[in-house]
Amino acid sequence: MTAALWQYILGGVVDGAIFALVAAGFVLIYQVTGIINLAQGEFVMIGGMTAAALTTGGMPLVGAAAIAVALAAAAGGLTYLLAIRPARGGTALTLLFITLGVDVALRGLALFVWGTNPYSLPPFSAGNAIVIFGGALPPQALWVLGTDALVFAALYLFFRHTRVGTAVRAAVANPPIASTFGIPLRTFAFGSFVVAAAIGGLGGVVITPIPGVQYDAGLTYGLAGFVSAVLGGIDSLPGALLGGFTLGIVEHVAAGLLSPGWDQGLGFLILLLVLVVRPQGLLGRAARRA
Amino acid sequence: MRRLSTAYAPVAAVIVAVVAVLVWFLPSYYTGLLTLIGIYALVTIGLNVFMGYAGQVSLGQAAFVGIGAYTSAVLSVKLHLTPWLGALAGAAAAALVAFALSFIVLRLRENLLALATLALGIVINVVFNEWDFIGGSSGFKGIPGFALGAYVFDQRAYAILAWVLVGVGIWFAGNVVQSTYGRALIAISSGELGAQALGVNSEGLRRQAFVLSAVYAGIAGAVYASSFTYIDPTSFGFLLSVNFVLMAVIGGLRSLWGAVIGAAIVVALGQILQTVIPLVLPGARGDFQSFFLGVILVAMLILMPRGLTSRFASDAQA
Repeated sequence: MTAALWQYILGGVVDGAIFALVAAGFVLIYQVTGIINLAQGEFVMIGGMTAAALTTGGMPLVGAAAIAVALAAAAGGLTYLLAIRPARGGTALTLLFITLGVDVALRGLALFVWGTNPYSLPPFSAGNAIVIFGGALPPQALWVLGTDALVFAALYLFFRHTRVGTAVRAAVANPPIASTFGIPLRTFAFGSFVVAAAIGGLGGVVITPIPGVQYDAGLTYGLAGFVSAVLGGIDSLPGALLGGFTLGIVEHVAAGLLSPGWDQGLGFLILLLVLVVRPQGLLGRAARRA
Repeated sequence: MRRLSTAYAPVAAVIVAVVAVLVWFLPSYYTGLLTLIGIYALVTIGLNVFMGYAGQVSLGQAAFVGIGAYTSAVLSVKLHLTPWLGALAGAAAAALVAFALSFIVLRLRENLLALATLALGIVINVVFNEWDFIGGSSGFKGIPGFALGAYVFDQRAYAILAWVLVGVGIWFAGNVVQSTYGRALIAISSGELGAQALGVNSEGLRRQAFVLSAVYAGIAGAVYASSFTYIDPTSFGFLLSVNFVLMAVIGGLRSLWGAVIGAAIVVALGQILQTVIPLVLPGARGDFQSFFLGVILVAMLILMPRGLTSRFASDAQA
């Protein structure tokens, strides 16, 4: 019983790692623009699909991964330039619906380009499962967790120790005043979409060897990332990390103990609970925006 | 703010009459589509009261359609009740669930309300999937049809029934939104604090609008279940909820006719894309249409955020 539970928790840690990356994208975009980008999960799908399709076609992994991340980043930038920026000044709901439209459109486009077949990637490194206290992790899990560590460390360093990062924090804290000091808000908004999409795409590349990927995988990642971000606090990057792992573990334990169908259901139930009890999330500050 | 028309009843009657005549000439496939448009339009009318007039948001409306459909199906298949009662019970069940949930989700606003309703829709769908009593993932087959005396409804009758419901639904919603009640809803959407300061009970009104939208969805679900005789959890997923938002936005959120126009356009567009795309792009599958639906949603929101009917509305205002 405890052995099985431990194994569910380990499985949840792997899922949690990718949820945290998607959640980081949600937090970045929300912080800088105030927009909840429901298309965030599609960048994971684009990253995973591109890398899988290119390596299946014979390209070396490193090249395929680089192209995959670049393509996801480009998709993020285009989302901002073509869909978000022309609608600026729209209400929060208009912008939310726009990202919903982008989400549907990107999934349709993926269906056209790649069809309905599932794709997969070989694990990045060979070797046996890693055994921790009797529970097993696939070696690929280290790549996923390592990516988390790198991305979150990079974000921390960027925001705390670079001039541009400080400028972004100023823009988040008070956009009009930051703007009068010459901080380019629109460039930052564009940048937040590009970086969030690149992080999602990178997550898609490293996670794909474990569950595989198909054209509609983005919806699950997007919803889970969204839930993680709100769980942890939509204005907090550490919250994204905490929310992602919490959700991943809860979903896996629920699926193991109840039935596989309940994993998503329980995650969302917890979300509802958090929204009622602590709408700002576990690590978020009291809500500034509705 | 004045809306499209003060005379909902006569126009609704004309539309029902047109449908009643059309069904005798259309091939049965198109009659089925007409029924589907009617059912979706009914849901979207309810959604427009909640989203368009009251300025709220629901990304989980398909769940209420599902509750209506499942309630009616359970009552008619297991207890052999007539679907007429089933539809009433479906509406009541959807209303009850909406009422109970409103105490949780309606504490939230905007983005978080969107997320909460989205979560609700998914949780309710998981319940459909996991609850064996209501068929689990395999759903319900052989749901009995509506009947009047010895006459069991055929496709034509369903199309007429759906559109009679649309007519009644528009008439009722039209009265709602033009009453003091409706003006209070609009006041909430233009600023909740201000509305409260003017003595509007925004908490209660938002709840009533939410429950009303669930009633529309529940009735639509019951008609859906009986006319298609088969339901399963995938019929009421997140994507259907997205489609309702699309219909509401395309038609115009603050317009009841917009709901009908939006439903008609989304269903028709889906059909057209399904036939045209493979001709133009031989490699494309039918589902590729969702790309265009997404692009249309984005384009509409950028170019005409108030929907197609906003053009007529501003004319009427002048």
